[in-house]
Amino acid sequence: MLVLSRKCDQSLLLGDDIVVTVLAIEGDRVKLGIKAPRSVAVLRQEVYDQIQAANTASASLGARPALKSVAAALRRH
Amino acid sequence: MPTLEQPLLTATPAASHSEPAILFPDGLVGCPDWKRFVLLVDEDEDLPVAVLRSLDNPDVELLVTDPTLVDPQYAIRAGVDANSTAVYCTLSIGDDGWITANLLGPIVVDRRTREAHQVVLSESGYTTRHPLARADGA
Repeated sequence: MLVLSRKCDQSLLLGDDIVVTVLAIEGDRVKLGIKAPRSVAVLRQEVYDQIQAANTASASLGARPALKSVAAALRRH
Repeated sequence: MPTLEQPLLTATPAASHSEPAILFPDGLVGCPDWKRFVLLVDEDEDLPVAVLRSLDNPDVELLVTDPTLVDPQYAIRAGVDANSTAVYCTLSIGDDGWITANLLGPIVVDRRTREAHQVVLSESGYTTRHPLARADGA
């Protein structure tokens, strides 16, 4: 992991297209501004982890065997 | 269920290789290798669920539903055009027996090109495990 320090209003460049700027430091919270192309997803780590977990949980469901029973349960609701 | 330009109306994987694939150029979030899928829709009944079957990993099949069945305003909240895109959310069943939908990270497919992305509705208040119904029907 590359470790750098920045002060408020200083920036980092990732590649040619991504800029991360420290906008404010408030207590234990750092406010970051990110400029990136639309093609680059910017996610909080914990949100990334949650979505990844949901994707793998969904894949381990056994979709086709569960299809009819899930459809029936949703219909009943 | 939302349909694509040429709907895939087969529940049998045998026919799936002849249908145009749904392509996720970036894969799904956290699963960048899951890029090519086909949508399997039951040919006999109009079900509220369908299967996104991976063409790259035979073990990967995602049960999906139409999120507008949960929230009719979903497409608007998600900021997508319901005419040009089809939106799906993956389903899981929790240890507590509840069927849940990932409304935080829907799959958005361009109806014409079949290019797809999993988008994250960070400010929506939705979760990855929105409860829909109990699996056992209780």
